[in-house]
Amino acid sequence: MRKDLFRTGMWVYILLVFQVVWHAANVNAFDAQAIVKASFDYWRGKTSVAIVDMTIHRPTWERIVTIKAWTRGEEDSIFRIMAPAKDKDNGTLKKGKNMWMYNPKINRVIKIPPSMMSQSWMGSDFSNDDLSKTDSLLSDYVHEIIGTETHDGKTVYLIQSRPKPDAPVVWGMQKLKIREDHIFLEQAFFDEDLKPVRAMSAHQIQMLGNRLFPKKWRMQKVDVPDEYTLLEYKELSFDDNLPDRLFTLSNLRNPGR
Amino acid sequence: MSIDTKMAWRNIWRNTRRSILTISAITFATTLLIFMLSWQFGSYDTMINSAVKLHTGHLQVQARGYNDKRSIRLVVPDPEAVGAILNQHPGVAAYTFRATAFSLASSKERTYGVMVMGIDPEREAKVSTLKKLVRQGRYLSAEDNLQAVIGKLLAENLRVGIGDEVVVLGQARDGSIAASVFRVKGIYRSGQDEFDRSGIYLPLKTFQDVYGMRGAVHEVVVLAKTLQDVETIKQDVSTRLEKTRKKDQLVILDWMELMPGLVQSIKVDLGSGLIFYFILVVVVAFSILNTFLMAVFERTREFGVLLAVGTTPGRLTRLLLLESVTMTLVGIIIGIVLGCIVTWYFQVHGIVISGTAELMSQFGLPERMYPRLSVLATVIGAGGVLVITLLTALYPALKVRRLRPVEAMTHVQAV
Repeated sequence: MRKDLFRTGMWVYILLVFQVVWHAANVNAFDAQAIVKASFDYWRGKTSVAIVDMTIHRPTWERIVTIKAWTRGEEDSIFRIMAPAKDKDNGTLKKGKNMWMYNPKINRVIKIPPSMMSQSWMGSDFSNDDLSKTDSLLSDYVHEIIGTETHDGKTVYLIQSRPKPDAPVVWGMQKLKIREDHIFLEQAFFDEDLKPVRAMSAHQIQMLGNRLFPKKWRMQKVDVPDEYTLLEYKELSFDDNLPDRLFTLSNLRNPGR
Repeated sequence: MSIDTKMAWRNIWRNTRRSILTISAITFATTLLIFMLSWQFGSYDTMINSAVKLHTGHLQVQARGYNDKRSIRLVVPDPEAVGAILNQHPGVAAYTFRATAFSLASSKERTYGVMVMGIDPEREAKVSTLKKLVRQGRYLSAEDNLQAVIGKLLAENLRVGIGDEVVVLGQARDGSIAASVFRVKGIYRSGQDEFDRSGIYLPLKTFQDVYGMRGAVHEVVVLAKTLQDVETIKQDVSTRLEKTRKKDQLVILDWMELMPGLVQSIKVDLGSGLIFYFILVVVVAFSILNTFLMAVFERTREFGVLLAVGTTPGRLTRLLLLESVTMTLVGIIIGIVLGCIVTWYFQVHGIVISGTAELMSQFGLPERMYPRLSVLATVIGAGGVLVITLLTALYPALKVRRLRPVEAMTHVQAV
């Protein structure tokens, strides 16, 4: 009898341990998910309007494009080139997973086909996917906190994000660094063999649009150190009231405003 | 003539029919091998030349690294200077300039990724088969501006026909956005799906304007007079490029570097061909072995007598080898002559495999295929037969050494 009792007790104990561990894992996953989501909300705001200088750097040349960008939530965004004059008024509209480009010279709108989504956007180190699938990190990945470090006296969560089994993504893994005040410090992209491919890092965190925000973002390929794309925020404001008609094809076609 | 040679010669003609059969087996194998090898080499020439004419040319002068990266910024800044170098070489049949950019092509509702190529319509016609591949509409002319020739599958995908508009959107040389609208003037079909699905040809001048090339091109495409000229042109142009100021920027690549896939498929085909020839030679070798062995069995008593009167086994072996070498050489010499005559005949007149002419022309291949007689084919063909036949002859010749005179003399003849 005592032996049986002991055995039952052991089972209960094992089950308990299991549950605690299980729960802890869940909490971790849930926490990581929440951290990423909060960071996204902070990064994007309800809406954002920004003017950004994009520097495309290559060993033998460099090109700077000034872009005005409007975003609303995770679904909608529209970008318009302001300078150089040659490319002024070229635009890109992103709605959900669809993307269109507009060119004023020929006055046409072209829808980017799915096969072209991994191509470079305007010759930069960003791909069309980077623009159209920003929310993919939230919906297609499972996040896990793998460690912490400190940055300017604040805790930074190191998060490993693995794609869900059937998620339509090109990366094998991403690693994120998110500060406790929701600031995205780094996003590293790994291929299917889990080798690092490229990384985006944030620099010069300062007050922008009434909140702390990195002024500079740098997208860098791992194997070619002398090639990168730098985004520098010139103006930034959050939570303006942006009308629906802003994110339409007819607005993309009408750069007048 | 020593006594051994005389004996060997007489022994060969003791059984005329058998010797002639043996010799003709050797002759047949040699002739066949020489012809087949020449045919194979000839068909590679045709394959290479038609692949080369379809697109890459025999040689290309490009900016260093362009072949791997295909970056629009890696240009040949002064194509005419390269042209001047090429004009001096007698082996160059023609050359043309091309510029290429990866872009989006869009019709009213559909968009695809494409290779946009700027070509000089007149020069291009001398280098590539593009002009002949235009199946609908017409090829570009020198006066054309916003006109394009596009691939058949691309036209189907975009759902455009002759006279319809195609929008092209890409990145110019300076990184700015290149965009333009073209009318479809012609539709080509090469039979290579990949090529027909992604190609748009524009006049070079227009391309240079739209993509901000400032007179530069990406490829100087060279067609050599024959495949054999390629190597000398490559070396010559390469040394001349070295002397110019731009020596670090420009390279000349031959078709093997431009189309590594073609080289591999030729290697695979040659490999399987060689296996077939090896089997052929082995079959011939066995039939020769048979006749050689028969000859020895038949003459067992004779060898016994020879041994009994004091002939050394070594001398017997030499005698037998002399006989087989003579027959082999006679067979091979006749084979070489016959093989060369047959090959040469078809090299002049060509071979049409009936029923394939239409198919061939669709893929831009000539309807007649020509073997190409070469020293290499002759040496490999004749050499292969020689080696294997001599190896075969060794066995009966060495077997003789084991004969005992008394047993051999009492040997009962099989026939």
